[in-house]
Amino acid sequence: MRITATALGTVLALLAVGACSSSHNGAGSASGTLVVGEFNPFTGPDAAFGPEMVGGCVPAVRLINSGGGVLGHQLSCVQEDTRGDPADAVPAAQKMMATESSLIGVLGPSADEALATAPLLDQGHVPMFADTGQAAFDHTTDAYFWRITPADDVKGYALALWAHKAGYTRAAAVFGNDAGAQSDVPTLVSAFTKLGGTIVYNKPFALDQSSYRTEIENILAAHPQVIFTEVDPQTGATFLSELQQLHKMLPLIGTEVSLQAPWLKAVSGAIGAQAMATYVQGMQPYAPPSGTAWQAFNRSLLASASHVPKPGQWSTDPYSMTYYDGVNVMALAMIAANSTSPAVFNADVMKVTEPGPGKTVVYTFAAGKAALKAGRQIQYVGAGGPIAFNHWHNSTGAFEAAKYVNGQIVLVGSVSAAQIAALSR
Amino acid sequence: MNTLVPAIGFGIVTASILAVAGVGFTLQFGVTNVLNLAYGDIMTASAFVGYLVTSAGVSVWLALAAGAAFGAVFSVLLNRVVYTPFVRRGTRLFGMIIVTIAVGLIVQNGLQAIFGATFFSLQMARPASVHIAGMVFTTVQLAIIGIAVAAMLLIHLLLRYTKLGKAMRATATDPDLARNCGVATDRVIDLAWALSGALCGLAGVILVLNVTAFTDTTGAQFLIPIIAVAVLGGIGHPYGAMLGALVIGIASEVAATVFSPSYKDVVAFVILVIVLLARPQGILSEIAARKEVAA
Repeated sequence: MRITATALGTVLALLAVGACSSSHNGAGSASGTLVVGEFNPFTGPDAAFGPEMVGGCVPAVRLINSGGGVLGHQLSCVQEDTRGDPADAVPAAQKMMATESSLIGVLGPSADEALATAPLLDQGHVPMFADTGQAAFDHTTDAYFWRITPADDVKGYALALWAHKAGYTRAAAVFGNDAGAQSDVPTLVSAFTKLGGTIVYNKPFALDQSSYRTEIENILAAHPQVIFTEVDPQTGATFLSELQQLHKMLPLIGTEVSLQAPWLKAVSGAIGAQAMATYVQGMQPYAPPSGTAWQAFNRSLLASASHVPKPGQWSTDPYSMTYYDGVNVMALAMIAANSTSPAVFNADVMKVTEPGPGKTVVYTFAAGKAALKAGRQIQYVGAGGPIAFNHWHNSTGAFEAAKYVNGQIVLVGSVSAAQIAALSR
Repeated sequence: MNTLVPAIGFGIVTASILAVAGVGFTLQFGVTNVLNLAYGDIMTASAFVGYLVTSAGVSVWLALAAGAAFGAVFSVLLNRVVYTPFVRRGTRLFGMIIVTIAVGLIVQNGLQAIFGATFFSLQMARPASVHIAGMVFTTVQLAIIGIAVAAMLLIHLLLRYTKLGKAMRATATDPDLARNCGVATDRVIDLAWALSGALCGLAGVILVLNVTAFTDTTGAQFLIPIIAVAVLGGIGHPYGAMLGALVIGIASEVAATVFSPSYKDVVAFVILVIVLLARPQGILSEIAARKEVAA
């Protein structure tokens, strides 16, 4: 009896361990079901990443399955918990590839585990729609790596394009001396120069100093028309208030940091709401909650409450939108290649997303499937906007310029993914 | 060259804030030998007092006074309630450093719990710009320089020409001998904490007047330059701290012009290291090195 209880306990424990590391969600768990791995942290410090991914994968799979599936197969999302740690993520990737025989691709990896696991997935011929922003993947040669979220350093292109669009030709770069801010600078300088502009001042700023008067004098001596920036809120407030007090404000184009709540509070308190609205703009990834693709995504998301807790929270989440798009792209690539083998359909990922003459633009899986069945070539435009992969399988996505008016973020314009892709070549 | 002169001028503004903070820090250390690493957080707490005062629609001058008064009272109470019991139980210099770090963390987290982890600005009219010798200052910056000069003069007069000043200098030199000579060292220590706290509170408010937006960590971020100023001048020596503030304030601004803004702190600390190599007694002055904590 004691032995039986021990054996039963062991079996239960093993089942529990198995359940912890991966679990299915979404419809379609029948035999022959193709698996999309949600390869992200579901536990650990970045446990918030996983549910955001579920909010994109499940609505996509729901629509694909209700539209007849892919080449006779249903799809299913399977959580593969990386715990946000390469030490856990590497065995998780190995186990996933060894046990999921019908794995067609993964969403992820995130920045937590991408450097350690992307080469493994690539060797295993697993297409991955990564959500890491690391610049290390800007020029990756991994054939199975695809990224439709902006890389961290892509911001530089967006800033340069927006300033160029506004007619500025002389700019100062005011970026903190931290690694995150400095990663934007090389692409900013090269892009702005390529567009005919000149960076007249470019020196990293020590953060949180009591004053930036000397730096301001040096910047003004270089006569810039606009200032590009990414600094922390306190530095931004001190710098801009001294600029305003000592001389006059200059137009400022910041990264998405300049549109985050702490920055807005600190800087608007320091320079005033009027100056904030007049002079300060920020660039952030563009994912407007509108259009055919977004409406399809949102309807399916809101109808997925049985698998996605509080689905409405992901309605305007740009990452959930790109996960949704990643699943649709893989599904359409399989139909285009007439194969569910990743080694075969991976090459068609580019074919179903890139624009081209005579192509049919589709905004949903169903429309794409119908067009492919009719023998037409397609360009899938997703909930997150058009996808324009470059030579290194990076699609930067579009960016929007916004400003802060009366306590609200107001959209003032955008730069397209195609413009960024062209500039980054 | 045309940006070097303004850099020196702007360095004087930075030096003014550092001088008020540095003199307060070193004055208290000179008398008590407690290296109070909660100093930056008390500056922040005083800045929040100034914020509350200006938010109530009261003048920024009263905010300065309120910040200084809060710093003085808080510092005296902190010494009486927290530091003195540790010292009387035999906690030595390095043990006390840990205690002061703990106090700093408690103050910082307390401020975050009360006010939230966000940014604040003192409520005041936007200052006018003033052109002086090719440099542009705001009226606030000129006021900061004026406050610092006045505070340094008062400290000089106090130390040189009053009985309290002499008693402080005597306690700083040898507390046992001072006590045996009839100096009420307990009272002197209380007054040293009060004076140091007042300068700390004043420095907190003028710092946030200058940086315009502050949070619960603003004062703590400023602690390292304050210690550098105190050490450069010879810790425990108020006049040394004044000189140290001038050197570090101007050197950091000139470095931003000649080299790069990111080297501001680096240059200041290179100077500090060079001075310490040449004059090691700068770390702990001869007087302070021989003493233990006094309460």
